[in-house]
Amino acid sequence: MRKINSICIIDDDPITVFGIKKILGLVVVCDMVSTYANGKLAIDGIKKALEEDQMVPEVIFLDINMPIMDGWQFLEEFITLQMEQTVRINIVTSSIDSVDREKWEYFKSKSQHVITFNNKPIKKNDIALITKVA
Amino acid sequence: MMLKNPQVGTNSYLIKQLPNATAFLNTRLEVVHASDKWVDYFNFEDRNVFGKKIPVLFKTITKEWQKVLKDCLKGKACTTGMEHFVDEAKNERWFEWTNIPWYDEKENIIGVIIQTEDVTEAVQGELKLEKLQILSQEKSEIAKIGSWNYDLVNEKLTWCDMTKKIHGVPADFTPNIETGIEFYKQGYSRNTVSMAVEMAIQQGTPWNEKLQIITPDGEEKWVIAAGKPMYKNDELIGLIGTFQDINDQVLADKKTKESERLLKTLIDNLPLNVFIKDLDSRKILVNKSECDFLNVSGPEMVLGKTDFDMYPKEIAEVFRDEDLQVMNSLKPIIGKETLSRKQDGSVNTLLTSKIPLLGPDGQATGLVGISLDISDLKQKEEELRGLINVTSMQNKKLINFAHIVSHNLRSHSANFSMLLDFLINEECGQEKENITKMLVDASDNLLETLENLNEVVAINTNGNLDKKPTVLNDKVAIVEQNLAPFLKNNNAKIVNEISDDVVIKVIPAYLESILMNFITNAVKFKEPMRDPIVKLSTTKNENYTILSISDNGMGIDLKKYGDKLFGMYKTFHEHKDARGIGLYITKNQIEAMNGKVVACSEVGKGSTFNIYFNEKN
Repeated sequence: MRKINSICIIDDDPITVFGIKKILGLVVVCDMVSTYANGKLAIDGIKKALEEDQMVPEVIFLDINMPIMDGWQFLEEFITLQMEQTVRINIVTSSIDSVDREKWEYFKSKSQHVITFNNKPIKKNDIALITKVA
Repeated sequence: MMLKNPQVGTNSYLIKQLPNATAFLNTRLEVVHASDKWVDYFNFEDRNVFGKKIPVLFKTITKEWQKVLKDCLKGKACTTGMEHFVDEAKNERWFEWTNIPWYDEKENIIGVIIQTEDVTEAVQGELKLEKLQILSQEKSEIAKIGSWNYDLVNEKLTWCDMTKKIHGVPADFTPNIETGIEFYKQGYSRNTVSMAVEMAIQQGTPWNEKLQIITPDGEEKWVIAAGKPMYKNDELIGLIGTFQDINDQVLADKKTKESERLLKTLIDNLPLNVFIKDLDSRKILVNKSECDFLNVSGPEMVLGKTDFDMYPKEIAEVFRDEDLQVMNSLKPIIGKETLSRKQDGSVNTLLTSKIPLLGPDGQATGLVGISLDISDLKQKEEELRGLINVTSMQNKKLINFAHIVSHNLRSHSANFSMLLDFLINEECGQEKENITKMLVDASDNLLETLENLNEVVAINTNGNLDKKPTVLNDKVAIVEQNLAPFLKNNNAKIVNEISDDVVIKVIPAYLESILMNFITNAVKFKEPMRDPIVKLSTTKNENYTILSISDNGMGIDLKKYGDKLFGMYKTFHEHKDARGIGLYITKNQIEAMNGKVVACSEVGKGSTFNIYFNEKN
């Protein structure tokens, strides 16, 4: 099984978090899976890790609709962070709004990171495909 | 005086004194004798005329006279003729000459005797007369004025050529008084002229009438027939008069008048304000619409006045600037939207065109203005725009709502789908139970979401619930009572500054819900370090009663969240009770009553929500 050092799940819905975690256990080996209930908590956590020279997640599962700071606002800040590594960010959303896809295209073109767009429900095979180091 | 011919010295002296201008020429046509009168008359350059030949003295001599002189030497007697010359003062002068042969005692022709007479005046008079005749004939041709006279004694009517021409008869036509009258058109014209002739003969009254005749070709013509009696020794001997063809003028006049009438009718009935201004922007023509627009009874109230007499100064200045621009640049202003304010304060929107009027020299002599009052249109446009705004807002709300519905339902169904997938493949009993519990939670969440959505739909579809005048403080009291335990638990205080007589037109249930939501929020999102205080107050403006609900809570960063504040399922605080539905529903309720809500807030200090209750509709 593929080995990932650090994975991060950002979603306010506990059921989704549960699901992603469960599937991840089936498809990869990862010692560190962190979860945040919204973008604000996540960006603060990642910033802290960067400051303390700790590991930044290699793969991020990101929800869009969240309180306090949503997925887009998170991305806005995240892509400004100075880091050497390329992070794989998998957007996982129930939104089928074309506006959200346009925003995804926008961030994809603006960022050094790999960003994918995935609709819920997310299946085991999908997770297996998108959970790898960028 | 030096005499050339001493033989005739005595004669010469006699001749010199002759009272007529007389000269004696020898056979070589040289002057031998001349009376002083003769010399004076011609005022020859060289006073010494004697011995000079006639052709030398008269440089402009005609061949005719030369021939006559030569014939005279051959004995051909006395002929008279006329010569002209230009005197020293450059005046043209005329003289008549009479030549006779000059015989000596033996009846031999020894020369010619010339006698001249100054006929300048007579000639000039004659010329004048001739000129006058020509002129009058010309005049008659141009003005088409003929004359006639009626000899009462011989009962003979005479028409001049022009009169005949006007009647359309040949030059050899001989009219009489009966045929003359029959030319007039039957009815008014013929009756009038018959009466006039009768009256002139009976009572000596002249006439001058505009009448119609019919020519033999059947052409109808307008003429001015004038006549008056003629007397000799107090006895009526006839009638004399003029006859003028004025058909063209009358027709042209008629046409002009018709055109004028047409133009006037047109200008006066155009649904446009039309005016003409002179160089000083004084109105010199206004139509009915413009009078109506200016609220005056007639053009005389406006003519000669400028816009400064009719509009406030600042408006008049704008108009005058436009006028000057048009008259200086000679370029028209077409269909410009202008705002006009009259002295009574009424405001109109006009669509104005100003076109320069050019004089023969190509310079502006003034301008024509045409303006259309589009105030009504403008108002309708504004109403329409308002309607479009409402519609587009509703549309936006609908789309937003559709997204909310689809998003929320999708996220729940995605969870169901995922959990069910897990459940099927799960073998561990403990985990199965765990997943089942999650399915129940997901189902509860879905139900709650549906209830919330239903509530929103209800608000938006029950927009036509009746608004009732409601005493605001009654509702505040009810809400305060309902929230009493909650307020007490949070140590919250409500400061109500609303006067008891404030009555607003609302859907009572919505008002309760609104108060409940804002007060609950104000307390729920309190600043942990201080007890919540919620202040209620009202103000009024033209259309709205504004309820202000201020708190001293944690506040919210409106720069970040302003556009999402009232969105569905948007929460901004990490608070366990934040569901993101309250403000969304509240906003819908306020808007369903044609109101609006505005928030201001400062993080750490508190928030104020101003709720506008529409009192007009």
